[in-house]
Amino acid sequence: MIEVKHITKTYGKKQNAFVALDDVSLTIPKGASVAILGKSGSGKSTLMHAMSGLDRPEKGEVIIDGQNILKLKQKAVDRFRAEKIGFIFQSFFVQGNESVYDNVSLPLEIARVSRGKRKARVDEALRAVELTDKTKSKARNLSGGQKQRLAIARAIANEPSIIFADEPTGNLDSVTGDKIEKLLFGYNKQKNVTLIIVTHDPELAAKCDMLVNIKDGKIESIEQADVKAAKVTRRVTKKVQ
Amino acid sequence: MKLADTIRRAGRSLRQAKARTLLTSLAIGVGAFTITLALAAGAGGRQYASDIISSNTDVRELYVQPKMDEGSMDFTKPQEYVEGPAMQFGGGASMKMLTEDDLAKLEKIENVAEVTPIYNASALYITREGQKKYQAGLEPYNAAIKSEVLAGVPGDIKEDEVILPSAFAEVLGLPLAEESIGKVVNVAMANAATGEEKMYPLKVRAIIKSSILSAVGSTTLQTSRATVAEMYDFSVEGTPLAKAYVGATVMANDEANAEDVKQAVIDAGYDAQTAEDLMGFLFQFINVLMGILIGFGALAVLTSVFGIINTQYISVLERTQQIGLMKALGMRRRDVGRLFKFEAAWIGFLGGALGSGVALLAGTMANPWISDTLSLGDSHLLIFQPWSFAAIIGGLMFVAVVSGILPSRKAAKLDPIEALRTE
Ligand SMILES: Nc1ncnc2c1ncn2[C@@H]1O[C@H](COP(=O)(O)OP(=O)(O)OP(=O)(O)O)[C@@H](O)[C@H]1O
Ligand SMILES: [Mg+2]
Repeated sequence: MIEVKHITKTYGKKQNAFVALDDVSLTIPKGASVAILGKSGSGKSTLMHAMSGLDRPEKGEVIIDGQNILKLKQKAVDRFRAEKIGFIFQSFFVQGNESVYDNVSLPLEIARVSRGKRKARVDEALRAVELTDKTKSKARNLSGGQKQRLAIARAIANEPSIIFADEPTGNLDSVTGDKIEKLLFGYNKQKNVTLIIVTHDPELAAKCDMLVNIKDGKIESIEQADVKAAKVTRRVTKKVQ
Repeated sequence: MKLADTIRRAGRSLRQAKARTLLTSLAIGVGAFTITLALAAGAGGRQYASDIISSNTDVRELYVQPKMDEGSMDFTKPQEYVEGPAMQFGGGASMKMLTEDDLAKLEKIENVAEVTPIYNASALYITREGQKKYQAGLEPYNAAIKSEVLAGVPGDIKEDEVILPSAFAEVLGLPLAEESIGKVVNVAMANAATGEEKMYPLKVRAIIKSSILSAVGSTTLQTSRATVAEMYDFSVEGTPLAKAYVGATVMANDEANAEDVKQAVIDAGYDAQTAEDLMGFLFQFINVLMGILIGFGALAVLTSVFGIINTQYISVLERTQQIGLMKALGMRRRDVGRLFKFEAAWIGFLGGALGSGVALLAGTMANPWISDTLSLGDSHLLIFQPWSFAAIIGGLMFVAVVSGILPSRKAAKLDPIEALRTE
């Protein structure tokens, strides 16, 4: 479970100060899939960074499995990220001059997984995203969609309990996008991994258990699956009429 | 990240920037090259010097002189007169000499096997029937001094025998072969007081190779101790120098006792020096030369330090995004810093290995040519010792890591969010 309590994040100082997150609170149950929706510049990425321990908001608490990660020492936060969290970044940040294998192996090396175990996990992650035949290729030679899948493989390789995905289907055609969505939701359901997706795409958001709308650094609304379902049916009936 | 993985990733990053890595390590390589050669030349020089010492001296031997007080050679103030024979120099200075009493006193010291006065003797000339006259020095034969024998057997030299350096044999028309053994040469001595000349006919016992390694020299004859003594006594008879010697050789009965005997001689009021003491200046000279060369190498290394810092800074800038990713994935500051330090260490290793490797290659190829030019015979001027390679490579890796500290700190301090924002 992730509990975010009264988070405030301000960029810049004095007259340049800009409040990117303003008293944000929300609770995400374990194994849920969550969409964070909002316009560009509304603070979605900032919220994701705060929840994952990448950033330190000056106010508030982020409690994950009973622990306030904002209170942890840097070393402990690093370890927490290495062991518990998988990231899929807005621009994939695939290391082009390294092989596909080494890209996926990086988080495992950082988490100090032994060499023997690494091989099995990398192979499994690459199988999950159907990139086994590209294992030895340089990452820069992959297509956009393949890079995106590689980023997913890297995020799931260390069997994290939470996956953050920032615009995972942002730059993709609808077919590839669907494939990636299936992958992520499949992983979310099979392994009971909490999936937090930052997106502009209402269709993708509709597939999540929970929907968080952000506007100008504030939470506008949070919709749960049952409420959402009612909404969707309403929309469907409208169309039929 | 585990150490092995960090080292592997560091190596891989360098391979991805081959040209830059190579150029940076070449700068260190120049330093490594110079230092390797300096150490090799130093080792070779010392080896050469100790070859000279061991082929010309006996470790049991001490060179003993009367004690010289600080001022005895000081020309700036008058010196008090001391009784006893002395060698006079211009300007009112003199050097005291050893008398027969001194020799007797030295002989009584424990563990002393033999005391031989140093005969400061020179022949007036040496000649052979039908040949020209040549100047020559005289030395008692010492079996401990190794020399290359061309003909005959030096061994137990008799009073009417002489050992000739090959240079003399040649000018006196004696072939460097057994047929010359037993032939007679004439050595003329002159008395310093009266000018009277005396001829000593000596049979050739052996011919030894004239070598620059030999301190006995190419112009010194060796004959029996008694003969040298007799010749010396004849030449100084009637002068104040009769029965007085510039010094004496004190032979300890065993190598192990040499140090004790030296101390006892000093305690008895004399100056005593071992062969190594006497040759110490040679080592000092070699060390100074080596130091200068190492200094040049160190200068090259110092220059390369800035190269490493520069390269590593550029590398950190270029890889901001990669560093951000690694930090976002939970890589610790310390590990990020270490990654860059290992990269620097690899550069140092590469430069060290390259430089010292090329030095070994070049030195090995140049050695015969150097020996030939300086006529060192079979000995080589450049001696490469395995430890020196380890020390140079290790030292340069250390220097490289130290140079990499600042850039690696910059990498470690990068804020992952900021770093990931840079496209
Ligand atoms: N380092 C920073 N300094 C100043 N302002 C910043 C900084 N980082 C982000 N911001 C501002 O904070 C706001 C929220 O940024 P954020 O990246 O969270 O937006 P976003 O919702 O992810 O947008 P997008 O959908 O375009 O990715 C933006 O107005 C942005 O300009
Ligand atoms: Mg964003």
